[in-house]
Amino acid sequence: MNGPGFVFWGLFVACGVILVAYLVWMRWEERR
Amino acid sequence: MTAQMWVFVAYFCVVFAIGWYSLRATRGEKDYWIAGGELGWFTGGATMAATHTSAGTFVGTIGIMYTAGWSFGWVLLSIPLSYWFMVAVLAPRFTRQKELTIPAFIEKRYYGKGIRGLAAGIILVATVVYIQAQIVAGGLIANTVFGVPTSVGMVGFTAILLIYTVVGGMVAVVYTDAFQLVVMGLGALFAVPLALRQVDGLDGLLVLAESASPLVFTFDAVPEVLLLTMALSFFLGGIATPEKLIRLYAMKDMRTIRRGVLFAIIMILAINLLVFVLALAAIVLFPTLPTGDLAMPMVASAVLPATLGAVMLAAITAAMMSTVDSLLIVAGSALSVDIYQNLIDPDVSPERRKWVDRLGIVIVGSMPVALLVSGIGEGELVQFIVLLFTALMAAAFVLPVVGGILWRRATQEGAAAAMVGGVAATFAWEVVGTPDIEPVLCGFLVSGLLFVGVSLVTTPPPQAAIAPYFDDLD
Repeated sequence: MNGPGFVFWGLFVACGVILVAYLVWMRWEERR
Repeated sequence: MTAQMWVFVAYFCVVFAIGWYSLRATRGEKDYWIAGGELGWFTGGATMAATHTSAGTFVGTIGIMYTAGWSFGWVLLSIPLSYWFMVAVLAPRFTRQKELTIPAFIEKRYYGKGIRGLAAGIILVATVVYIQAQIVAGGLIANTVFGVPTSVGMVGFTAILLIYTVVGGMVAVVYTDAFQLVVMGLGALFAVPLALRQVDGLDGLLVLAESASPLVFTFDAVPEVLLLTMALSFFLGGIATPEKLIRLYAMKDMRTIRRGVLFAIIMILAINLLVFVLALAAIVLFPTLPTGDLAMPMVASAVLPATLGAVMLAAITAAMMSTVDSLLIVAGSALSVDIYQNLIDPDVSPERRKWVDRLGIVIVGSMPVALLVSGIGEGELVQFIVLLFTALMAAAFVLPVVGGILWRRATQEGAAAAMVGGVAATFAWEVVGTPDIEPVLCGFLVSGLLFVGVSLVTTPPPQAAIAPYFDDLD
C-alpha cells in the first residue's frame, strides 16, 4: 500500500474513476 | 515599470473592463445578487471552480503537502464527491424556488424572519473575518510585486475588489471569475514543466522526493483519523457554504447545473493536482524550509523566470480575488438584504434599495482592512474564525439546508438550535479537543443531535413552509 506506485499514481486513477462515474450517472439521470 | 508590474497592470485592466461591461448588464436586484439566475454551464462552472480555489490552495495546501507528504493529497477526493452530493441530492429540491440569498431560503423553509437574521449574522461575521485572511495574502503579493508596504497593498486590493464588485454585482463576479480561472490555470500549467525540468522530469521527481523525505509516498506520515476528518471537513464545507449554494440559484436549470458542476470538478482537480506536483518539487529543491507556507513563494521566485514568476503570482492573486469577490456578495447581501431590508427597514423604496445593496458591499468590504489596520485582526478569536471558517459554515448550515429539504418534520426551533449549537461545539472542540480530529466532526454531530432532537419536541412546521420542497411526494 505504500510507495509512489500506489500512493502517487493511485490518486490520479481515483480522480479519473470519479469523473467517469459522474458522467455515467449524469447520462442515466437524464434518460430516466 | 518591471515586467512583473506590467503583468499585473494588464491583469487589473482586464478585470476592470469586465466590471464596466457588467454594469450595463445589471438591470435589477436579481441580476445584482444571482446574475439573473440564467448562467450557462461554462460561466456557472467556472465561477464555482474559481470561488472554490482560494489563496489557500496555492499557499496553504502546498504548505501542508510539503510537511505532510502526498497522502494528504487523497483528501482531495472528498471535493468531487461533495459537489456530486450537492447536485444529486440537494439541488433538485433546493432550486425549485429561487431566492436571492441563502438566509432568504432559511426564512421560507423555517417560516420566520428572526431565524433569517440569525443565519445572516453567522454568515456576516464568519465571512468578513475570512476575507481578512485572504486580504493579508494580497498585501504580501503587492509588497513583492510593487515594493509597497503590505498595509498599502491590503488597502489597494480592497479598493480594486470593491470597485468591480460594487459596480457590477454578481454579473461582474461571475465573468471576472471565468477570466481569473484562466489565469490560475495558466500559472499552474506553466510552472509544472519548468519545475520538472530542474528535477529530471516526473520519474526523477518521484525518486528524488522519496530520497529527500522517505515518508512522502506512505500513509504513515499523517494519522488516518486526521486525514478522514479533514476529508469530512472538505465534504461538508463543499455542500453547504453560502457562496456555493448561491451559485445553484444563479445557474439556469438542473441540466445546466449537472454540466457546470462537472466542469467545476474537472478544473478544481486539475489545478490541485498541478499544485501538488509543485509541492513535491519544493520538497526536492528546498528540503529545509522553516514552514511549508514558504514553499510556493520559493517556487515562484527561485524556479520560474521573472515574467513567469509574475504569472504565478498573478495566479495566486486571481485565486484570492475570485474567492473574496464571491464572499463580498454573500456578506453584502446578508447585511443589506437579510438584516437591513428584512429586519430594520422593510418598507425601503426600490430606488433606495439599490443604494442599500451597494452600500452593504462597501461596508463588509471595508471591515477586514479596518480590523487589520486597527490591530483587532491580530487577535486570537479572529485567527480562530479564519482557521475554522469552513468548519463553522458546515456546522451551521449543512443540517438546516440539507435536512430542511430532506426531512419535512424539521422545525424552526430545531434549525436555530442546530446553527447556534454547531458553531459553539466547533469552537469548543478547537479549545479542548484533540488536534488529531478536526473540529468539524464535533460541530456537525452536535448540530445534528440538536436539529433532530429539538425538531421532534417542537410544533411541526406549517404546510405552507414545506409544500414548495415536498409537493410532488404527497
